[in-house]
Amino acid sequence: MDTPFFELRNITKYFSKVVANKEVSFSIRKGEVLALLGENGAGKSTIMKILYGLYKADSGEIIMEGVERKINSPKDAMALGISMIQQHFSLVPAHTVTENIMLGNVHGRIDRKVCEREIGELAKTYAFEVDPHALVKDLSVGVQQKVEILKALYLKARLLIMDEPTAVLTPQESETLMQFVHEFTANGNSVIFITHKLREVMKVADRIIVMRNGEVHGDLKCSDTNELELSRLMMGKDLIPSKRGEGDLSADGNEIRLELDKISVVEDDQVPRLKDVSFSIHRGEIFGIAGVSGNGQQELCEVICGALRSTSGQVVLDGEDITDLTIHERIDKGIGYVPADRHKDGLVMEMSLAENMMLKASYGKKWLRHGLLDRNALNSYTDTLIKEYEIKASGPEAIAKGLSGGNQQKVIVAREVDNGSKLIIFDQPTRGLDLGAIDHVHKIIFAERAKGKSILLISTELSEIFTLSDRIAVLYKGMIQGIFKGSELTTEKIGLLMAGYNDDKRCTDER
Amino acid sequence: MNAKFRDLLVTNFLAIVLGLGASALMLLLLDKNPIEAFGILFSSVIRDKYTFADIFVKATPLIFSALAFAFTFKANLFNIGVQGQFYIGALIAASGSLLLQGRMPGALALVVVFILTIIGGGIWGSFIGFVKAKYNANEFLVSMMSTYVALAIMNYLLRTVLMEAKHEYPQTDALDTTVWLPTFIQGTRLHIGFILAVVVAISVWILLYKTPLGYRIRVVGYNSDAARMSGIDSNRLYVVAFFISGALAAMAGFTEVNGVQHMLLQGFNPNIGAEGLGIAILANANPIGIIFAAILFGALNVGGTIMGQMSGIPSSIIEIMQGFVMVFVILSYFVRSELETRRAKRSLYKAVEE
Repeated sequence: MDTPFFELRNITKYFSKVVANKEVSFSIRKGEVLALLGENGAGKSTIMKILYGLYKADSGEIIMEGVERKINSPKDAMALGISMIQQHFSLVPAHTVTENIMLGNVHGRIDRKVCEREIGELAKTYAFEVDPHALVKDLSVGVQQKVEILKALYLKARLLIMDEPTAVLTPQESETLMQFVHEFTANGNSVIFITHKLREVMKVADRIIVMRNGEVHGDLKCSDTNELELSRLMMGKDLIPSKRGEGDLSADGNEIRLELDKISVVEDDQVPRLKDVSFSIHRGEIFGIAGVSGNGQQELCEVICGALRSTSGQVVLDGEDITDLTIHERIDKGIGYVPADRHKDGLVMEMSLAENMMLKASYGKKWLRHGLLDRNALNSYTDTLIKEYEIKASGPEAIAKGLSGGNQQKVIVAREVDNGSKLIIFDQPTRGLDLGAIDHVHKIIFAERAKGKSILLISTELSEIFTLSDRIAVLYKGMIQGIFKGSELTTEKIGLLMAGYNDDKRCTDER
Repeated sequence: MNAKFRDLLVTNFLAIVLGLGASALMLLLLDKNPIEAFGILFSSVIRDKYTFADIFVKATPLIFSALAFAFTFKANLFNIGVQGQFYIGALIAASGSLLLQGRMPGALALVVVFILTIIGGGIWGSFIGFVKAKYNANEFLVSMMSTYVALAIMNYLLRTVLMEAKHEYPQTDALDTTVWLPTFIQGTRLHIGFILAVVVAISVWILLYKTPLGYRIRVVGYNSDAARMSGIDSNRLYVVAFFISGALAAMAGFTEVNGVQHMLLQGFNPNIGAEGLGIAILANANPIGIIFAAILFGALNVGGTIMGQMSGIPSSIIEIMQGFVMVFVILSYFVRSELETRRAKRSLYKAVEE
């Protein structure tokens, strides 16, 4: 057996409060696609950041082609031919593709023509449709990712690490990415995929490393395993997928709760952020919005919760026009909102869980006694929610910052489910959560639906949209591409709609 | 929690010792014996009742000005105009007292003047919040510049309507003894303003941590986006926070005029605002911590003045000392968080090995 391209031996890494990696060992051969599979917080990204020189391991060694190497910085890693594409791209939006790729890789006098030609040729080799002169800010996310890949190729990377590369892509774009991975590895290079999507893993990987709690729990050939086994290894237990509520209440018969009528958000002469968006959600209905992120989802949520004023159109809740109400008044009307960016919009990270629970009730009398805050009542209320939602925290006084992402999300969900007595908006409710937490959130969504609440679900995960939604609308560039019943759509069709192709203009909105 | 509290005491004590140690080096550069100088510093402040009580007299306005800075700081706003708000308070206190003295009982006059001071200082301060809310003006710059406006108003009034009867100096006539804040320890200058300051500090603590208004202010300070999404009107809070902040600063003017100076002098106590800012940072903007930090600074002020008189050491060494103490106290925050991290890591290693 030939020597592996890279080998990690007994890597251990401590962060102040957790063991991120414990004696992690695995190797990657030339021409291999390795998938690093695990839930969030399993230590996948950490081990890769150690390989890429961003973190320093507390113990263990890295061996390249039989020789031990010290990798102290990304610069060292790049010199060895390792490149990593982070989940959040590191591109300068105002610069051209060429300028971005050259950044940090040129010295002295810059011969732009030569660089542009080289990059153009490089793109052609892998059939990337990337214009070297285009400004990065004008490119779609999928193309931006190609620019990142070109950046790595330009540095003559032989091992490409990709952190959740398909999270931001449409199904079609993912397909192109997979094709690239095959071509790239066919030339004797290697790719490591960091992911928690099982289906993707089965499709692309040659070998799979499963991580859980910072340790390797499986090193399997793709051909020898299946999704069930992988999920068991990942979770440490069997996953029982959440079931829809009893008697799939087709919501058609129920009365309309929320109605949007020709909502547009246009700023001056700019491209509209939302254009003529109309739909209605019934009682006890989950209305899913699919789409690649950045196509107006955030604006749509904010128009409904009151953070953003529409430039035209009407928002009607239970027959009452709420277009001009403030956020505060809409909270009082029973609209709950689980925002996509929970750190920015949903939580006060420096405050305790109890204090975060009363975030939306600070104007009410609910937590007052003799004009002062009733900490005891608030704490015991928070305590019941901690138990009910299985939030892993030391207690109501725990600071939000100290919780894991999944538990932070549960805190927000617990609060908003309580706030939203009529309508709950879930914007990317499971992004970044591990399978167990995702399952829990899904169960909550179904439970609230069963209580007759209306749910607006926004997600870029198609599987989530399909699992949960009664009806699905596709949002592209601020416009609704069509409203469908869940069963009417295929992955392929929705993918085309998400990318803006809308040949047959059929719209099945029953209104 | 216990280990944390121990860290707090130990590191703060060490910070003060190191601050004094660093200023001792400065004294060596001046060819003075630091041990002798510190001997004078410490012995002088406990020399007699009058001097010791003066520590608290000096601390009183500093508590108010530090609270003023700390209050808006909790909402992540910078009120750099505390000095100006202090002058506005002093102006209102002096002119109000001069107007009301003799026309009503002294105690009643004091209460009315105090209320007027709060309202006046509050309105002056809330202007900063208003322009921030309305025009998104930078509160740092507006508040800083407002001090110069306050100073100019004071100078103008002291040369015109408020000028003393003799028309000699830019200062008011002395106030009637009826509107002086009474002292509560015989043979000292310690007036009830100090008690007022402590009560106000505790009230500010209650306001911040026990009321919905204080809660909202802190939410806006920590995360204004989450506050907005939760329906909290941050613009209104800006105005309210600056009203309270201005009122707190103006209270310092009231206690200084009616408690210590008994008249209004042009440009008196020019460092109240700056020292208050330092104290607020020293106390991590905690209202209770501010009381102690202000007393420390009061002691350094009193001792420094005496040290200057007795040993020929320039009393400005005290400002250097205050500076060093502040630097080390701020450094101690990082030491504490490092200690905390190490403790967590140690217990983790232990847990892993078992």
